Amino acid sequence: MRRGRRGGTVSRRSWLTAYLFLAPGLLLFAAFRLYPLLDGLRLSFTNARLGRPAQAFVGLANYERLLDDTRFHTSLYNTVFYTVASTLPILAIPLLLAVALNRGTMRTVLRGAFFFPFTLSVVTVGLTWLWLLDPVVGPFNYYLRALGGPARSWLADPTTAMWVIIVTTVWWVTGYYLVIYLAGLQDIPRDLYESAALDGAGAIRSFWAITLPLLRPVLLFVFVTHMIGSFQIFGQVFVLTQGGPGDATRTVVQHLYETAFQNFFHFGSASAMAWVLFAIILVFSVLQFRLLRGHTEY
Amino acid sequence: MSERHAGVSRRKFIAGAAATSGAAWLAGGARRVAAQAKPTITYWNGLTGADGKVMDELIDQFTRETGIKIEQQRIPWADLYAKLQVSVPAGEGPDLALIHTVEVPHFASDGVLEVIDEGTLGNKGFRAADYLPATWQGGTYESKRYSIALDVPQHVLYLNVKVMKEAGLVGPDGRPKVPGSRDELIAMAKQMAKGDSFGVAIGTVGPGRYTWGFHNLLWQNGANVFTPDLKRSALADPAAIEVAEFWGNLFGPLKIAPPANASCRDAFIAGKLGMWIAGSWNFTGLRDAKVEFTAAPVPRLFKQPVVWSMPHQFTFPKPRAADAAKRDAAWTHIRWMTDHVADWTLKAGQVSASRKAHSDPRIAADPVLRVLMSQGANWQVGQPSPRWVAAENLTRPVIESVYIAQKPARAAMEDLARQINALPV
Repeated sequence: MRRGRRGGTVSRRSWLTAYLFLAPGLLLFAAFRLYPLLDGLRLSFTNARLGRPAQAFVGLANYERLLDDTRFHTSLYNTVFYTVASTLPILAIPLLLAVALNRGTMRTVLRGAFFFPFTLSVVTVGLTWLWLLDPVVGPFNYYLRALGGPARSWLADPTTAMWVIIVTTVWWVTGYYLVIYLAGLQDIPRDLYESAALDGAGAIRSFWAITLPLLRPVLLFVFVTHMIGSFQIFGQVFVLTQGGPGDATRTVVQHLYETAFQNFFHFGSASAMAWVLFAIILVFSVLQFRLLRGHTEY
Repeated sequence: MSERHAGVSRRKFIAGAAATSGAAWLAGGARRVAAQAKPTITYWNGLTGADGKVMDELIDQFTRETGIKIEQQRIPWADLYAKLQVSVPAGEGPDLALIHTVEVPHFASDGVLEVIDEGTLGNKGFRAADYLPATWQGGTYESKRYSIALDVPQHVLYLNVKVMKEAGLVGPDGRPKVPGSRDELIAMAKQMAKGDSFGVAIGTVGPGRYTWGFHNLLWQNGANVFTPDLKRSALADPAAIEVAEFWGNLFGPLKIAPPANASCRDAFIAGKLGMWIAGSWNFTGLRDAKVEFTAAPVPRLFKQPVVWSMPHQFTFPKPRAADAAKRDAAWTHIRWMTDHVADWTLKAGQVSASRKAHSDPRIAADPVLRVLMSQGANWQVGQPSPRWVAAENLTRPVIESVYIAQKPARAAMEDLARQINALPV
C-alpha cells in the first residue's frame, strides 16, 4: 500500500477527505432526521405532553393503549384500504399515459398538461375538489342533476368518501409518476422493439414482453414510494373530509396529528403511533423489495 | 415702543438663544426618552378573517395615540393554541394573546397563562358590573382570573328574505316569519326544502360536525358535555340523547337540512337555504355579498332560549422573566380596546363583552347588532373544564355519524360519553 508523506495510507486519507466532504450533510442528517427519530422513540415510552417539562417513563403503556384505541384501529384500516385501493390506479394510469405519450405529436403539450396538477399544493388540490364536489353549490352535482344523474354528497357519504379521496390523489400525482415512467421508457433500447416487430410482435405483445419487464426497476420505485406515501396520507383527508363522515376517512397520520396537537398534546402516545406506522411501512417496503427485486439487462 | 426697549443687546440675545436651545433640547430629549421608553409588545391572535384587518386599523390607531407599538401575529386558531402550548413554557410566548373562552381552563391548568390578581384588575378599571355574567365568568378557572373578555361571538338566526318570500313565509310587512318553536321551525323548513334547496341549517361549513351548534341545542335542553362537578360526561343523559335524535333527524328523516359537508354559508348566499343558525361573525360577509336577509334571536328549540357564545379573551401568557413595562403596555392596550370596543363592534360585527358600548347609538342603530345584544341575557359559554376542548374534538365525528344516520343517536352518545370519560384528567 502506498504511503503518504505523513505516514498515513492513501486510502485512510481518502476516507478522511470523503468524510470531511460528507460531514455537513451527515451533521444535518443527524440533527434533523436521526435525532428526531430516536427522540420520538424515547418519547413513545414516556407520558410526554407538549409544553410540560416533566416526563415519566411509562414503559410500553402507550403501545398497549393503542391496542384498545378503536379509533386508531379504524384509522389503520382506512389507511390500509386507501393504500391498497389506490395502488393499482396509481401504477396503471400513469404507465398507460406514459406509453401513449412516449411518442407522437403534441406529446410535450400533453405531458405538461398532465404534470400541471402536481405543481399545485395539496391544500389547493383539496380546496378545488371540495368546491367542485360541494353537494349544494358545486358544479359536479349541478351537471349531474342536469344530465339526470344521481347527485349526492360524495364526501359526506361513508361509502364514497374514501373513493373520492383516491380519485383526487390519482388526479394529483399522475403527472409525477408519468414523468418517472417516461424516463424509464426512454432508457429501453429501440432496437428491442424493432427486433420484436420483425418477429411479428404487435404493440400489446411488445408491451408485455419488453416494456413491462424492462420497466421493472421503475415500477418498483413507483410502487415503493407510493406505498410509503399512502401510509402517510394526511393532507388530502385533512382538507377534504377532516376524517369524516364520522371516522370513515380517518387515517393514521390524522389520528396521530390530533393526538399530538389537538387532544391534550400527548406526544408520548403520538410518538408510539408514529413508530407503529414506521414499523408497518418498513415491513411493507422490505416485502416489496424482496418480491420485485431482480436484475434488468439490456 | 421706545428705542431702548426695542433693541436687544448681544449678551441678552445670546443668553436668550442659549436658553431657548437648551429648553428645546431638553424637551426633545424628554420626548426621545419618552418615545424610547414605550415598549413594543407582541400580540398573537387568530383573527384571520376580515376582522383581522379591522384589528390592524385599530392597532394602528392605538399606536398613534399611545406610542406603544404592537407586533401582531395572526395565526389560525388551532395553530395558535398549539404554538402557545409550546412557546410559552420555552419562554418564547407573546406579551398578549387573544384566545377563546373554552381554551382558558386547559391553558390555565397547564401553567401557560398568568393569573390576573383582582387588585390589578380593579386598578385598570375592570369591574364585574360592566360585563354580563357569562362573559365575566368565562375568564376564570378554579376561582382565579386568567383573562378579560373583549367581545362575544355568538349564534344568531339568519333569514333569507328571497327564499322565505318564495315559500310564502313572510308577514304582511314583507319580513320573514320567525319560528317560535321546534315544531314551527320544522314546518317552515319543510316548506322551503326541495331538491338542492334546504329549509334550515346549523353551522357555517360542515353542519354535520358543527359542535358549537350541537352544544347550543344541548344547553337549550338543559344538558351539557360534563356533569356539573365536571367529573364525568353527561352526554349519555336522556336530555343529551334527545338533542342527538333531533340532530339525526335534520338531514335524514326530515330532509330539511343540507348534507353533512355542505357549505351552509355558500348555500345561504346562493339562495338555497332559508333559515340559518350560525355565528354572528358571518353577518358582515352576508352584507358584502349583498344577500337580502334579516336576523332574529336563536329560536328556542328545546326547554330554554339559550344562545351559544364564545367570548374572545385577552390573556397574558407567562413570560420568561417579568417585564413591568411590557405588561403595563399590554394593559394599556386592553384598556384602550375596551374603551374603543364600539368601533370594533361596528367594523368587525362582534358585540362587545363590556356593557358600556351596548348603549352606543351607532350600535343600537344597526338591526343585526341590536338582535345580537338582545340575546345577552341568554348567552352561555362552555364549561370550565381542561378537558372541554379534547371532548369537543371527540364530539365532532360522532355527531356527524348521527347526522348522516351512520349511528343511532343513543349508541353514539353513549360511545362518546365513554370516550370523554376516558380522557386523562
